[in-house]
Amino acid sequence: MIKSSTANTVPMQLRRILVKNSYLLALLLLIIAVLINYLLQPNFFLPGVLNGNLQTYLPLLLLAVGQAIIIVGGGIDLSIGSIVSLTNVIVVHALGNQSSPSQIALAIVLGLLAGLLAGAFNGFCVAYLRFQPIITTFATSFVFLGLAEWVMPSPGGTVPADLANLYTSNPLGISFMIWVIAIVLILWGILRSTRFGPYLYAVGGRPMSAYQTGVPVSFVRLSSYALGGLMAGMAGLALALTTGSGDPLIGSPMTLDSITAVVLGGTRLSGGQGGILGSILGVLILGVIRSIISFANVPTWWQTLVNGIIVILALAGPGLVSLIRRQRA
Amino acid sequence: MGANGSGKSTLGKIITGVAAPDQGQLLLDGKPISFSSPQAARKRGIVAVYQELSLIPDMTVADNIWLTHEPRRWQSILNGREMRRRTQDLLKLFEGTIGPMLQPDAIVATLAPDERQIVEILKALSFDPRIIILDEATASLDSQQVDRLFDLVAQWKTQGRIVIFTSHRMEETFRVADRVTVLRNGKTVGTAQLDQISQEELVAMMIENSVASQTLTHRSEHESSPVRLSAERIRTNILQGVDVQVHAGEILGIGGLQGQGQSDLLLTLFGAIAYKGAIQLEGKQQRFSHPSQAMSAGIAFVPGDRGAQGLLSIRSIFENLQLPSWAKYGLPLQMKNARQDASQVASRLNLVMGSLDAPVDSLSGGNAQKVVLGKWLLREPKVLLLDDPTKGVDVGAKGEFYRLLADLREAGTAIVLYSSDDEELLGLSDRILVLRDGKIQGELKGEQLTKSALVATSMGSEQESAS
Repeated sequence: MIKSSTANTVPMQLRRILVKNSYLLALLLLIIAVLINYLLQPNFFLPGVLNGNLQTYLPLLLLAVGQAIIIVGGGIDLSIGSIVSLTNVIVVHALGNQSSPSQIALAIVLGLLAGLLAGAFNGFCVAYLRFQPIITTFATSFVFLGLAEWVMPSPGGTVPADLANLYTSNPLGISFMIWVIAIVLILWGILRSTRFGPYLYAVGGRPMSAYQTGVPVSFVRLSSYALGGLMAGMAGLALALTTGSGDPLIGSPMTLDSITAVVLGGTRLSGGQGGILGSILGVLILGVIRSIISFANVPTWWQTLVNGIIVILALAGPGLVSLIRRQRA
Repeated sequence: MGANGSGKSTLGKIITGVAAPDQGQLLLDGKPISFSSPQAARKRGIVAVYQELSLIPDMTVADNIWLTHEPRRWQSILNGREMRRRTQDLLKLFEGTIGPMLQPDAIVATLAPDERQIVEILKALSFDPRIIILDEATASLDSQQVDRLFDLVAQWKTQGRIVIFTSHRMEETFRVADRVTVLRNGKTVGTAQLDQISQEELVAMMIENSVASQTLTHRSEHESSPVRLSAERIRTNILQGVDVQVHAGEILGIGGLQGQGQSDLLLTLFGAIAYKGAIQLEGKQQRFSHPSQAMSAGIAFVPGDRGAQGLLSIRSIFENLQLPSWAKYGLPLQMKNARQDASQVASRLNLVMGSLDAPVDSLSGGNAQKVVLGKWLLREPKVLLLDDPTKGVDVGAKGEFYRLLADLREAGTAIVLYSSDDEELLGLSDRILVLRDGKIQGELKGEQLTKSALVATSMGSEQESAS
């Protein structure tokens, strides 16, 4: 007997493909955006230009990976940009004027630790105190921003040339950026192949079912925020290396960018689906769009507007789909 | 087995550690134990298959089945191939009864309800349990799949596993079980070997041997009054073609076991869920796609979950009463008239309250439910839909609530009532439609409005007109 399974209908097949390869749409968008950019800027594919672009994308890329982990786990972090600012100024402040290797190592460790702790604090509030993620992280964003301004009231400080040069280096002939992206993807792959992988998706997908099955829901939530904070710390560190100085306001505008990138990468804002690869593609798309805007002589405020619209569309998506279904029924 | 609210599900929850008993103890292998969580029970080999699924929609079948006990290499790295292989083995148990889409890598959300239920059963089995509780686990399975499940149950028995089976399909219980324990009102009535008991005797054990007290006098005049609301061939995800007619001045009861589509029917009539079929109000064709349309046509809905659906709990009684009716009071709102009307309704409802401006959550459960009803009284509805309206309401308030319904019926309102309390349903309704598996199993009226007839029809037993 052939069973009439709903799995055979076209929308269901589409859903299956999208759930498994949520980054496919992002890949398509990226190709289109790159083509448009290539038409406007014919030297786009020169190694120097490409590498230069990648260098400006890296901090947001790290941040979007962090945001993606949190969103997949069913949360969201509006303070992630402030964590970037905080770690950025902590790193620069800790470096001071010395460039002894131990000082550099200390600064890096302090910066990453600050990011991890800030994220863990968010996670504690959301997972154990049951605060609303959006409000909680909106509030903590001001806490972290305040701390950043306390550490360094105005932009300043310097980063030793040795350290800054690392950013533009080419170990084994491959760009530093590619190394970082590869390492992030490998680490994610390892994480994904432990129990934490399915747990994260289960908690984001349907927390009650996950709890009933015995998944440590609160711990997974907390961990997702802590990991997000750690990635924000790496973004703050990367920013310190690119700009060569510290700035307590540098991270805040990146929050919306990070959410937009995750959404563009095919990750659902309600959680439980999507991933890192899509978010990285999302960052590249945003970067290329920015480049298009600057080459097409479009005012830069378009970028912010477009970001906002993308997030609104992503939020509207599921609602629109069910609305259309309702009309048909 | 047991009728609605007899405590079957609660008992299952206590055994699996989902709920804690107030008193008494659980013995496993003769030793007293207590479970603090479902995981604790699972460690001792007790798992349950519930109807409300515990699956994660966007994860694969294999990931779902092995969640929290994934096969691993070196303690920590997941072994995907092993996981898929073992899933494949489990799926073989249902081979031939499931569609080709049910694969280890299929996303659960894309599966049909019966396939999801099978995944749920396999998930329970993957824990290699000693005791399996199947709580209405057959509800969404077709007959072939049920046959296969029963073959498996027979195997499990020979493997020394214990199966606790609850089902609203009586013939299934007779097919699969050896022994039956009947619960009634939270107490054990008796235990019997199933080959020594008949369906009639079982129904008799499930119900009390008393006549249902009539809260309101049943009336039959309504049969001559015009049909107020009629619905034909209503289909939703749960309903499978239901016809309903309500006359003016009639209380129509919707009965049956829980979750047979009663709430769906009421929500459909209120325009709150998508449906197929035709609805006529006073002879005119209607198509409601939003509750506001049903409201302006004169239909009112009192939900059972008053906290979530019926009331704005932190706002005042006054605001709650007037919420659906503000349009009457012009622009700017004529607050004086509104307050007068509201206090009239409050006195008609006999509300026990501090003042109209007190927040609704300062009221007792019964009084709060009266507010939910009262806010519709201001609109003088033609049709009143009640979805288990007296859940958690004390006896005194219930009495007043019933009197309000009687007044409304007298005034010619057509009332459709679903109640999980069989006594209440029998006591209030002039006529009862019994739903089962999304279809109408039978209609009870006049002499047939007895508890045994209601229970027997709900269970799908043959003896439908027993009295």
